Amino acid sequence: MNLNIEAQKQNTYDAIVVGTGISGGWAAKELTEKGLKTLVLERGRDVKHQVDYPTMTKDPWQLPHGNKLTEEELKFYPVQSRTYWVNQANKHWWVNDLENPYTEVKPFDWIRGYHAGGRSLMWGKQTYRLSDLDFESNAKDGVGIDWPIRYKDLAPWYDYVESYIGVSGQAEGIPHLPDGKFLPPMELNCVEEVFRDKLSEKFGRKLTIGRVAHLTAPLPHDPSRGVCQSRNMCDRGCPYGAYFSSNASTLPAAMKTGNMTLRPHSIVHSVIYDEQKRKAIGVRVLDANTKEEIEFFAKVIFLNASALGSTFVLLNSISSSHPQGLGNNSGHLGHYLMDHQYRTGAEADVEGFEDKYYIGRRPNGIYIPRFRNIGNDKRTDYIRGFGYQGGASRESWARGVAEMSFGADLKKSLENPGPWKIGITGFGECLPYYENKVTINADKKDIYGLPTLNIDAEWKENEKAMRKDMKESAAEMLEGAGFKNVRTYDVADNMGLGIHEMGTARMGKDQKTSVLNKWNQVHDAPNVFVTDGACMTSSACQNPSLTYMALTARAADYAVSELKKGNLK
Amino acid sequence: MNRREALQRTALALGYAVTGPALIGMLNGCKAAPELNYTPQFFTPEQALLIAELAEVLVPKTDTPGAKDAGVPAFIDGILKEVYPQADKDRFTKGLTDFDEEAKKTYGEPFATCSTDEKIALVKKHHEDALSKSSGGGSVGWWRAGSDGGKPFILEMKELTLLGFFTSQAGATQVLQYNQVPGPYKGCVPLAEVGKAWAT
Ligand SMILES: Cc1cc2nc3c(=O)[nH]c(=O)nc-3n(C[C@H](O)[C@H](O)[C@H](O)COP(=O)(O)OP(=O)(O)OC[C@H]3O[C@@H](n4cnc5c(N)ncnc54)[C@H](O)[C@@H]3O)c2cc1C
Ligand code: SF4
Repeated sequence: MNLNIEAQKQNTYDAIVVGTGISGGWAAKELTEKGLKTLVLERGRDVKHQVDYPTMTKDPWQLPHGNKLTEEELKFYPVQSRTYWVNQANKHWWVNDLENPYTEVKPFDWIRGYHAGGRSLMWGKQTYRLSDLDFESNAKDGVGIDWPIRYKDLAPWYDYVESYIGVSGQAEGIPHLPDGKFLPPMELNCVEEVFRDKLSEKFGRKLTIGRVAHLTAPLPHDPSRGVCQSRNMCDRGCPYGAYFSSNASTLPAAMKTGNMTLRPHSIVHSVIYDEQKRKAIGVRVLDANTKEEIEFFAKVIFLNASALGSTFVLLNSISSSHPQGLGNNSGHLGHYLMDHQYRTGAEADVEGFEDKYYIGRRPNGIYIPRFRNIGNDKRTDYIRGFGYQGGASRESWARGVAEMSFGADLKKSLENPGPWKIGITGFGECLPYYENKVTINADKKDIYGLPTLNIDAEWKENEKAMRKDMKESAAEMLEGAGFKNVRTYDVADNMGLGIHEMGTARMGKDQKTSVLNKWNQVHDAPNVFVTDGACMTSSACQNPSLTYMALTARAADYAVSELKKGNLK
Repeated sequence: MNRREALQRTALALGYAVTGPALIGMLNGCKAAPELNYTPQFFTPEQALLIAELAEVLVPKTDTPGAKDAGVPAFIDGILKEVYPQADKDRFTKGLTDFDEEAKKTYGEPFATCSTDEKIALVKKHHEDALSKSSGGGSVGWWRAGSDGGKPFILEMKELTLLGFFTSQAGATQVLQYNQVPGPYKGCVPLAEVGKAWAT
């Protein structure tokens, strides 16, 4: 009895954060900086900035097989390799699919990284704000439920997060793509500048350099991070800490407070709900190494295990008051799974500019903000819209395969950069559908004996109609800008491949139709906060991670003030 | 759509383009009995000799290193052994055997010991033939050409050679230029100031 109390005391903290990815890192930083003794639980191994980036400075010839995975290695990644991105340089960041199974009713690519830092190590760093066009959309269109917040609620937190992580971008004054606290923009290249001017002239549309979480100037508050060197080897981990990752930024900040205990190899599988106290009191962890089951306790719990990871934990938190999972009294937990559709657009040849080139591998591209269903633009075939990402560049030596020459001639000609090409691909909004859902497979267990997720989701009519336009409008703009030989493409993508999966524990005003309130608290368990992509009420079309960070910082601030007021015990 | 257009189309997403007429370069060096500078793990010694000689015809030593100097034959051997699934291994070795058979039939010698002119002539024939038949490929992944959907051996070999060569230190730094740490991106610079193409 005494022993138990002793153990419980040892395992008790002020706060628990589950997951160390983009959102969990922020929860850890904010809660520890506000003085809370915080246990941060991460299911994967620890990854220390710089120290644990084994390939960060490898040159192409130091990577085996031209960076291609061996047949043996590829066997571990039947799902992750659907992106075509898994290679020798980054293979250690993707989950072993054989050890982390799930089931797909319809194809759904669940692309993950289980290690400290989560996907903050591999992300593309594209960083955009949502606006009231997005926060009001559900209410206006009568789709799903209304967001319980508006842009003004999040704006100061966008400021706060951007200032801290460092976001490079160009202020454009576009109402529906609000400017942020920007570091200097990266440069467009000569062809992109032409495209920008033609788009404005012929279509009245904007093109801006991508807004990215890279340092283009030093951060006075964080001298440990350096300025981006245009290596474009980011997905290996950056030796300069020049792009934002939890590992380079938020986790070291949390560590510095002395208030963080980071426990790797800790798979959280459920929240402990105390029936007497009628509240959540902690989490259950399965130690991935010892397979031991351990309980940890805290007044406040932040779930940041990624959208589907956190939803899994909630669904799996069964108690007699919550037989369908914690936060599921509404029956909406696990539903409204969304993502962004992409990999359709157009590309073209560019005549001229043979005497122009660039220096550096810019880890960024161009961005064409949404122009559909805004102002006078009204589509009859679909609602919402999409943005484009892309860029122009000169062809590399790889063009040589199809060249008519070989031998010394070919070798000589490849010494010169190839012709310019330009391409754009759409990123389209997805509506929230009740039928797009995840549930628990009670009988299909993973290697730890834990239940697995079953994913059942698909693109529907609105997405399909939008997708057609994403392709056609891309071609129209490239043609209108005067580029040659315009070709469209549509590499039909499964849901999930956007790697922006979200929405399975949505925020809302009414606890009958939502899982979280406007502070990201679980309606049925207010000391449990979910601030990753699970909370999204609609998907907008912007890359979402900045919004997760802003929501996390905001919720952490609220949680601590509520704790101080004695409202969360 | 003519062949040239078809090729360009195929080539796009991969960043390939078709330009320029076919001109065969002069090879340096005189004929000597070929030797291997590595121990093959996948190929038989005869196959390995053919691969090395063929790679060198595709990317020869000039005033800069060639395929053999850059370790391309060992690279291809490694890809075949470790990366290719069995079906691709079988297809590639069959292509290789057929190619060598033709050399023997035409010149009475295995490809590896044919004269430089003979080697070039055979490569030219296969290369032109393959490019004339190629008709579009996948937009992701590797070169897939050939009206039957297969990869003609010579183009597959060319692709492997270029990949091995331009990811090698010699190819990346002596034929092209490479800088691991370029510094802040400059988007619009006169080519004359930059010089050669970037390896990556
Ligand atoms: C290649 C790629 C490119 C991308 N590009 C962009 C982009 O340009 N812009 C953008 O906004 N987004 C981008 N994304 C998406 C972005 O990475 C995610 O939105 C973001 O990482 C989500 O943050 P998160 O904290 O919710 O989850 P993650 O970053 O995935 O972190 C989740 C963490 O929780 C841990 N975890 C999971 N389950 C448990 C458990 N049960 N117990 C304990 N720990 C657990 C995981 O190990 C992981 O560390 C990209 C993603 C990828 C893979
Ligand atoms: S491009 Fe910039 S952020 Fe990416 S690895 Fe290089 S220096 Fe780091």
